[in-house]
Amino acid sequence: MNIARADAKPAAIWNFRLIGHHELNGFGGMGEGLSVQMAKDGRRILWAAHESAPKNFTAIDVTNPRDPKVVVQTDLPQRHMRSNSLETCGDLMAVAYQTKQPGQQPAGFEMFDISRPEEPRSIGFFDASGPWSRGVHQLWFADGEYVHLAAGARDFQPHDQKDDQFYRIVDVRNPSRPEEVGRWWMPGQRVGDNAPKIVRHPAHMDTGFRAHNTNVYPQRPDRCYLGYLDGGMFILDISDKSLPRVVSNWDNSPPYHGFTHTILPLFGRDLLVVTDESVVDDAADWPKLVWILDGRDERNPVPIATCPMPPVAEFKGRGGRFGAHNLHENVPVPGCWQSENIILATFFNGGLRAFDITDPYQPREVAHFVPEAPRGSPVGSIQINDVFVDDRGIVYCVDRMIGGLYILEMDF
Amino acid sequence: MAGDAPFAGVFPPGAAAGPFGRRQRRPRGARVPVILVTGFLGAGKTTLVKALLESEEGRNTAVVVNEFGEVGIDQALLAPAAEGKVALLGNGCLCCAVRSDLEETFRTLFTDRTRGAVPPFERVVLELSGADDPMPVLQTFLGERSLAREYHVQAVVALADAATGRMALRENPEARRQVAIADRIVLSKADLASAEEVAALAAEIRALNPAAPLQEARHGQVAPGFLLADSELPAPSALQADAPGHAAGLGSFVLRFDRPLPWRGLTAALGLLCEVRGPDLLRVKGLVAVEGCQGPVVVHAVRHLLHRPVELEAWPAPADRASRLVFITSGGLTREPVEALFGAVAALSPP
Repeated sequence: MNIARADAKPAAIWNFRLIGHHELNGFGGMGEGLSVQMAKDGRRILWAAHESAPKNFTAIDVTNPRDPKVVVQTDLPQRHMRSNSLETCGDLMAVAYQTKQPGQQPAGFEMFDISRPEEPRSIGFFDASGPWSRGVHQLWFADGEYVHLAAGARDFQPHDQKDDQFYRIVDVRNPSRPEEVGRWWMPGQRVGDNAPKIVRHPAHMDTGFRAHNTNVYPQRPDRCYLGYLDGGMFILDISDKSLPRVVSNWDNSPPYHGFTHTILPLFGRDLLVVTDESVVDDAADWPKLVWILDGRDERNPVPIATCPMPPVAEFKGRGGRFGAHNLHENVPVPGCWQSENIILATFFNGGLRAFDITDPYQPREVAHFVPEAPRGSPVGSIQINDVFVDDRGIVYCVDRMIGGLYILEMDF
Repeated sequence: MAGDAPFAGVFPPGAAAGPFGRRQRRPRGARVPVILVTGFLGAGKTTLVKALLESEEGRNTAVVVNEFGEVGIDQALLAPAAEGKVALLGNGCLCCAVRSDLEETFRTLFTDRTRGAVPPFERVVLELSGADDPMPVLQTFLGERSLAREYHVQAVVALADAATGRMALRENPEARRQVAIADRIVLSKADLASAEEVAALAAEIRALNPAAPLQEARHGQVAPGFLLADSELPAPSALQADAPGHAAGLGSFVLRFDRPLPWRGLTAALGLLCEVRGPDLLRVKGLVAVEGCQGPVVVHAVRHLLHRPVELEAWPAPADRASRLVFITSGGLTREPVEALFGAVAALSPP
């Protein structure tokens, strides 16, 4: 690993106000699970998944965002696990568990009762382990009834080990007994699925054809907006959960470098916002972008713009990754900010950036926040990983390595 | 203007947007604020700017000094800046000089900031030389094709020197114009003049510009907030007296409209006015209730150039949603013909 000094570049902040920062007790390497619970006692609790062991998740009382307080911080049972993703819905929380190697356990997702945030209580577990499975990487849980997830399975043998995770739908209406009700994978992904094998990306950019974000919104409960990494994005018809069908597929790679990550539909505007994730240090997989798609006809999404990025030459040498990753996803739960004009996105060492896409043909950056390299950063730069905005417009973003939680106000 | 956005008719604008784009919290939106400092040679502009840079509130300021055609006396005070070079001043501040193209300088500053080639400044203070006509400079910041997308003129600050200010105002039309169009006025060197002289200068300034907040500088400086605050329009309730036509024909007046205006009618009236009396419209600034808009629309024009309108999220005082347009004029253009023009256009416009 390239160890650099943390004094490379000063912080840059424009039209955000930094109002809080918490290093999360020294365990500030955070994943891509951020969710706000409106607790029954009136507190707002931010639940955050850790990027890697030893910690599982941390709950932070952000009722006063200028004075965040850790409420609880939990440990993973195994060093080979990572939680990475979680979602809350009311007093229920689902936490994803992925393992380093296929075949390891526990792998799946765990359901918690968080009605007392100080004492999250495990009430159920869904096993997604298997000889070829690393468990669950990412999940979506917004309606209190179904968890949509990117997971492997005991009975799922991919042609390529990198393709171990696919789209699964699990009924958690009885959270103590989660049950799978549907699944979909890319034809040619699974041994024995009768489709020709997937044509892989060139070896240097072959990062896997597998599921990532699995977003489902109440405006279209019959649709899943599915990021499929090297497979691009899929819109699935899930009106019959037991038999998801492809409505459309948009894939920018090659010539781009795959890893399609998040699809955010803007239902009021006939638009889709799509991110790729940068997964290679020093921007070696540049450009990883935030794309704006014309979604007027869901059968034929058309890319019309990308959000402007700061010059790669200025960022690629700062250490770690530089490029797009997560978005604020308009999660349909109380306490989550909803926006179809402003898009907030994370760019690793490019920090957090906000874009005005009111004219979707000309997205404009309206704010950015690039903190200094956090103390002890192994890559010598900030690596902003995920973002969530609460209904007060308070912005929470996290460092992937060590910096913990940054709390901001939007000032634009 | 409304409805000509390129996405209109293709994609719905979204809940946070109106006919003029996303509603903004403040007139500058996300743009970089620019504070224009004008004033005659020796009025103390550089001392004032230097004090701002050294203050806590003034950190992360970029200063652009317009030295076109002027001996670079101020260089010694504001650090030497060779052509095209940016000097770092500490406190996150930087300074550069314009010797030819103002627009080019501002563009370079913006791209250098994006690239990280200069410190991430939060505002620009543009110091004009004493003899500069501020009107073309203001126009440069209004044009969409020039600097209006990146920069917003937050305030025009005029310095008047108590010792020599009255003479400058008498003898120099440029000085009068600088005072007339200012959003804020600083009286410098009051300690070098008698109280009577200061009072007489203040009275002359008020005759040219009745509404702009005025402050005396102490040891060449004023509270940083006075320079950095956003410009405010006169409170709608205060019935401001028209500034009497000055000897040079400079004047100002406010038009109020209690009912929301149709955008087409408003632009028709302003357009006609610009065509007929454009050279005499030094500044038109206002908050307008436009039919079909939730928030007030910020209108800003300099001579014949009307800035792209910005809709705000909310009225400054929600109880009063009356439109008001401030006119600062030359050539003896007074309220009556302008009011009559607006009335006639309103009568012609279909309901």
